[in-house]
Amino acid sequence: MAPILEARQLAKTYETGGAKVLGLRGVDLTVERGEFVAIMGPSGCGKSTLLNLLAGLDRPTAGEVWLDGVRIDGMSETALARLRRRKIGFVFQFFNLVPTLTAAENVELPLLLVGRRRRSARRDARELLDALGIAERHGAAPAQLSGGQQQRVALARALANRPDIVLADEPTGNLDSTAAREVLRLFRDARDRGQTLLLVTHDPSVASTADRVITLRDGLVADETELGAVRQVPPLLELQSPP
Amino acid sequence: MTLMLIGLAFAGMRSRLLATALTIAIAAAAAGTIVLALEVRSTGIDPWDRTFSEANGAHVLAFVPSRGEAVAIGRLPGVTERGAPAPRVLATMRSRGHDERVELAGSDRHTRVNVPLPTAGSELRDGGIVLERSFARALGIRTGARVRLSSGHGFVEAPVLGTAVVPSQPRYPRHKPGLAWVTSVTLARVEPDRTRWRWSEAVRLRDPSAAQPFAARAAAALPPARPGDVFLQTWQSQRDDALGDAQGTQVIVTMFTVLLLLVAFVVVAILAGARASEQHRQIGLLKAVGFTPRQIGLVFAIESAALGLAAAVLGFGLGAILAPRLAAPSAETLLGSPSIAANPWHIVVACCVVLPVLFAGALTSVRRSTRYTALEAIRAGTVSVPESRVARAVVRGAAPWPVALGLTELLARRRRTLLLAAAIAVTGAVVVTSLSLDATLDSRPASEPSDFPDELLLLVYTLDTVLLLITATTLVAVVLLSVRERIRDYGVLKAVGVTPSQIVSGVVGSHTALAMLASVVAVPLGVGLYLVLYAIAGDSTEDAVIAPWWSLASIPVGTVVVVVAATSLPAWLATRIRTADALRYE
Repeated sequence: MAPILEARQLAKTYETGGAKVLGLRGVDLTVERGEFVAIMGPSGCGKSTLLNLLAGLDRPTAGEVWLDGVRIDGMSETALARLRRRKIGFVFQFFNLVPTLTAAENVELPLLLVGRRRRSARRDARELLDALGIAERHGAAPAQLSGGQQQRVALARALANRPDIVLADEPTGNLDSTAAREVLRLFRDARDRGQTLLLVTHDPSVASTADRVITLRDGLVADETELGAVRQVPPLLELQSPP
Repeated sequence: MTLMLIGLAFAGMRSRLLATALTIAIAAAAAGTIVLALEVRSTGIDPWDRTFSEANGAHVLAFVPSRGEAVAIGRLPGVTERGAPAPRVLATMRSRGHDERVELAGSDRHTRVNVPLPTAGSELRDGGIVLERSFARALGIRTGARVRLSSGHGFVEAPVLGTAVVPSQPRYPRHKPGLAWVTSVTLARVEPDRTRWRWSEAVRLRDPSAAQPFAARAAAALPPARPGDVFLQTWQSQRDDALGDAQGTQVIVTMFTVLLLLVAFVVVAILAGARASEQHRQIGLLKAVGFTPRQIGLVFAIESAALGLAAAVLGFGLGAILAPRLAAPSAETLLGSPSIAANPWHIVVACCVVLPVLFAGALTSVRRSTRYTALEAIRAGTVSVPESRVARAVVRGAAPWPVALGLTELLARRRRTLLLAAAIAVTGAVVVTSLSLDATLDSRPASEPSDFPDELLLLVYTLDTVLLLITATTLVAVVLLSVRERIRDYGVLKAVGVTPSQIVSGVVGSHTALAMLASVVAVPLGVGLYLVLYAIAGDSTEDAVIAPWWSLASIPVGTVVVVVAATSLPAWLATRIRTADALRYE
């Protein structure tokens, strides 16, 4: 079976004040269906840039991105938006909820985008929020939610359409340890349901929950470690759900 | 420290170039509107004063039976300047088979006081006639036409050489008979019997305020005459007659000026509100690095002053360029050849409106910041879910979701949205008023005297156009501000799967829905405004005609067209930003 996500010699150059800055310098990456991959590396190594390119949020300077057998790096903005609706869920470090919509409305948004009726979208959004433990906050504005609650809403929004792959950029980077543990539990649940996860983090304890850890350095893949087998016995990190 | 604060203010403006440019553009439009309104109003309200000045008007105009009496009046003490005594004859003028009484005034090159000011055609010469403009227009006589002048004793076939105005002659047909000028030679051919001539003498006085006592003194100095043979008209009575004529024009121009100023104020208020929400974050950051609220207030005061002054100067220039063109129709209603120069004092008035609103916006932000912690101030400028659940439910239920999304955003910025809707409603109401005025004028028989000069409609539509342009500019600027504030949100929406065209349709659709609501309000508002105007202008509202339904229906349709045109480009530009860049946007 073809990998769900593939990057071939992916490169990205930025221009800052007339000077060229190399973000990525030729990254090859393959993610199989159902896999949970963590990308690590120091600040400025290109983690977020790679994630943006893989989600079609940015365009590479060179190289190719393939999603579910379709090359996406040359697609139009409209085609990419349509693709993301069904195949990609994205979770940001700073949550990025739409501030003028309630928690439930934020989660409904992707469902409405794929043509679901309002009533059905609302019901599914409530169920998702309930599953994530924040059903009682469905009518709250993002600004009225804690960081952990906002990230759970963001996760619900990313999972709403059951996308083939969920990409997350430092999803616990802005959360306290309790909220971070809760969010990681939700990611594991998603993986257990067969969803593919690609997560950027600089936190080794977060990366240790993944099947595979890819380390970037200076815009290149510096290291790749399979954790799945190692984690069978004993686990690297025992995550506990909050009481 | 002061230099540092000034530097900080200018650095702030430089770092937000688009916002700075928009601020200057909108404030300049508002200042330009104010200058324009003041110029147009002054030409509409005070044309008699300028006509009087240009014509070297008479402080006292005497109508007497003989030339000797006219000369005697010119020699009375207190007279500083007098024209040559002018003969006058009451005659009949036949044009296109229609007879009309006309007062023929003999005019020659020695006329120095109460000089007729040409408005069209050529100067007076033997054998020809120059008609007073309102007289020519009411009868539909054009330059080059031929008229037959007769007095019962003689007649002349004379070509119409042109038209002219004088401050002493009220508008025809409200005041009959009409006035025309011929040379003394021509007058002698129309009325060979010189004993039937009457005479007029126009004099200027050392003390114009003493015109009334001078007229009484002159009447007493003349030999006893039959009632009606001697008539002395002071400059005050000439002005009262003219102002009575222009009352309808004055009311309408004043009302339009007020509406223009209202829209200008709304525009600046929208701008100040948008800046205030932007400033909260900056205030929080400045507090965080140790600035006191007083110092922060100074930074924003300097910024507002610089922007306001730049806008006022730019707006004044804009108004000064446009005013002569736009005010010309108004000036034409009474004045001969207007020379409209922008009044430098108007820049002060423009500053008085623009600067306080900008200052108020900035100082309100700073005042609020003193109540907030630095962190709260940083967060204070952000929008949140609209408070009204009912409005949200209506929006969600009634509109397709991209439009509902845009409407939710509009509801979240309620104050700005209300001001924008008010500007659209006022503009629509003014257009309804103009259409109704047009309909009323159209419904009157051509021969019926009208309170409204023909040019008034042109002036009204010109002011409509100015108002439309300003509202459309405001709309573009508001949408640009809104989409700029939401670029990050658009990045999020695109990341979730919303297409650029859905974002555009949300922005355009929501503003169109708002404009539709405003234009529906505009129709009854405009009808009410027109009836009030009509009543104030002197007539009862019984014969006021409201614009036909198809004409009123064009208001919402036209509004939609203008809104779609004004909002599409800014919305489209916002979606052109790459998603990753939009997500990083601050």
